[in-house]
Amino acid sequence: MRSLRVAFFLAVKSITRGNIGVTLLTIAMLMLANLNILFFPSLVDGIIHSAEERLIDTFSGNIIIEATGDNPIIKKVDELIARIEAIDGVTGVTYRNSMGAELVYEEESTNCVIRGVPPEREKEVFKIADAVFEGSYLEARELDQILLGVQLAGSDRQEIELYSSSLRRVHAGDKISITYTNGVKKQYQVKGVFHTEFIQTDMLAFVTEREFRSVNPLANNRANTIHVKLRNDSEAVRIIGEIAEFRDGLQFQTWEDTAGVIQSMTDSFTIIKGILTMVNLVVAGITVFIVTYIDLVNKRRQIGIERAVGITPGAITMSYVFRAMFYAILAVVTAWLLYIYAVVPLEARYPFHFPFGDVMLFVNQALLIRSALIILGVAIAAALLPVQQTIRIKLLDAIWE
Amino acid sequence: MLEVRNLTKIYRLGNVAVNALVDVSFNVPEGHMICITGKSGSGKSTLLHQLGLLDYPTSGQIFFNGQEVTKLPDSVRSRLRLTYLGYIFQEFALLLELTAHENVYLPGMMLGNGKVDYRRRAGELLDLVGLEGRWLHRPKELSGGEQQRVAIARALINQPQVLFADEPCANLDTVSSQMVMETLVKLNAEMNLTIVFVSHEPEDRKYATNWLLLSDGRLVTDSQPSGLGTPP
Repeated sequence: MRSLRVAFFLAVKSITRGNIGVTLLTIAMLMLANLNILFFPSLVDGIIHSAEERLIDTFSGNIIIEATGDNPIIKKVDELIARIEAIDGVTGVTYRNSMGAELVYEEESTNCVIRGVPPEREKEVFKIADAVFEGSYLEARELDQILLGVQLAGSDRQEIELYSSSLRRVHAGDKISITYTNGVKKQYQVKGVFHTEFIQTDMLAFVTEREFRSVNPLANNRANTIHVKLRNDSEAVRIIGEIAEFRDGLQFQTWEDTAGVIQSMTDSFTIIKGILTMVNLVVAGITVFIVTYIDLVNKRRQIGIERAVGITPGAITMSYVFRAMFYAILAVVTAWLLYIYAVVPLEARYPFHFPFGDVMLFVNQALLIRSALIILGVAIAAALLPVQQTIRIKLLDAIWE
Repeated sequence: MLEVRNLTKIYRLGNVAVNALVDVSFNVPEGHMICITGKSGSGKSTLLHQLGLLDYPTSGQIFFNGQEVTKLPDSVRSRLRLTYLGYIFQEFALLLELTAHENVYLPGMMLGNGKVDYRRRAGELLDLVGLEGRWLHRPKELSGGEQQRVAIARALINQPQVLFADEPCANLDTVSSQMVMETLVKLNAEMNLTIVFVSHEPEDRKYATNWLLLSDGRLVTDSQPSGLGTPP
């Protein structure tokens, strides 16, 4: 207890009366190390979060339901959807019917799968309506209208990935010819073109379910897929279990099951994040060690004097640990404030742009706490090692060297 | 109080062995004020470092109050220094980040004798060595003489049984030197404090009750039973 009191006393005096330049430099180095540890993981988390969010909001929803068997059609869709909507944690349900088709505009043609959807339900599950940049989204009772993804329409955007295989110059209001795989041939007016920045979604085309039934009357009260949107805190496994109770012959996928390319990308980013965090940690540790070591070399005589007048090695060591903790806590708090109130808002204003859209830094409490503990640990270790080294030097050498 | 038997200290400078102390033996009776004198390089400070438990001898034994302390581990030596020994360095050795008052009471704080108010006692000691009104000054704001008196006060904070002083006046002017030496004499006389001090000035023997003369690490004295010479 006495040792702790003396250690605290020495630490306070050293901080308040020591070299302010060394104090500020040490805090600045620790703060930068903390920012470094925060920045890349939250950028990677932002990329992953953005990609996953884009996948859920535009492509899959949280849960996809299909029928099992050779003819995977879900029947009595209205009844099933009504029961799914009643489950706690479900915020939206929509259903889709699909049929392959060839799209032709002037001399350009392309193939795709056209989805027949209920527009109002779609808006509860997906954010495709928000991504319409030409024309407008579908209305429930519309016929002969089609909504195209930008990778199909082209819309004179030569920078898009699949422009060469698209219809190239199709815009809202243009008329295109469509031949369905069941032989039906129709003219459609392009109601709108959307660009979600998620390429698999931007390759889709949508018509209203009413229009789809006019092409394929067998689709009435049937669907190829049902998409369910959940509240953020809902557990997909529980809800899948409840839906499975309603009827047999259904199979379920979560959004992770459909992630495909995104999953391999996020896996790679997670590995890169781990490697860079480790490198940052080593760099931070060495930096803090050097700053502390130089400071301690200059304090060798002081430590020698403290030992000579009877201050125990434990108390001397603890005084440097207290100092390191003070520097680390101040650096962590400064880094947090700077990060939350300067770096994140600045990045949000000028976001990094990735193929699947703008990426915001994803800051969560766990990352903040983990980075703080890392910095605290590194600072204490970087102080402990040189202090222990200095304390092992012969007392007289420490005083007179 | 202190007994030294056949103390030898050999330093190694590369392949060369330097005999700093050779077979030194003597006793320091309680309440005496001993002056260790000799030419520069004769081993005076080396001897004091061994007595003050700041260094380990190559061979020989040191007894304090009848108990051998020669080979005690550093942590136990720290405790002995803190509790029973006071040490005054040639170059003051004050902690620059602390005030005079804090420098003095720090060892008291470490010992933590609840019966003694170490802050109050540190103030009294500073007054005793003539530093009234200089408590809150840091070492850089004090003259050499004042710093040395702070070091004396610090050495006394835990009421040591023996006070060691390594050339306490080496860096001081004549007036300050006299003041410091008179302070030590006063402490010896009034508090019956055992003092061992080193000086290269033969005339400083006048302050001592007994003296030792060292030459090339060897003790050169009359053959007194205690191994001590008598004052001139």
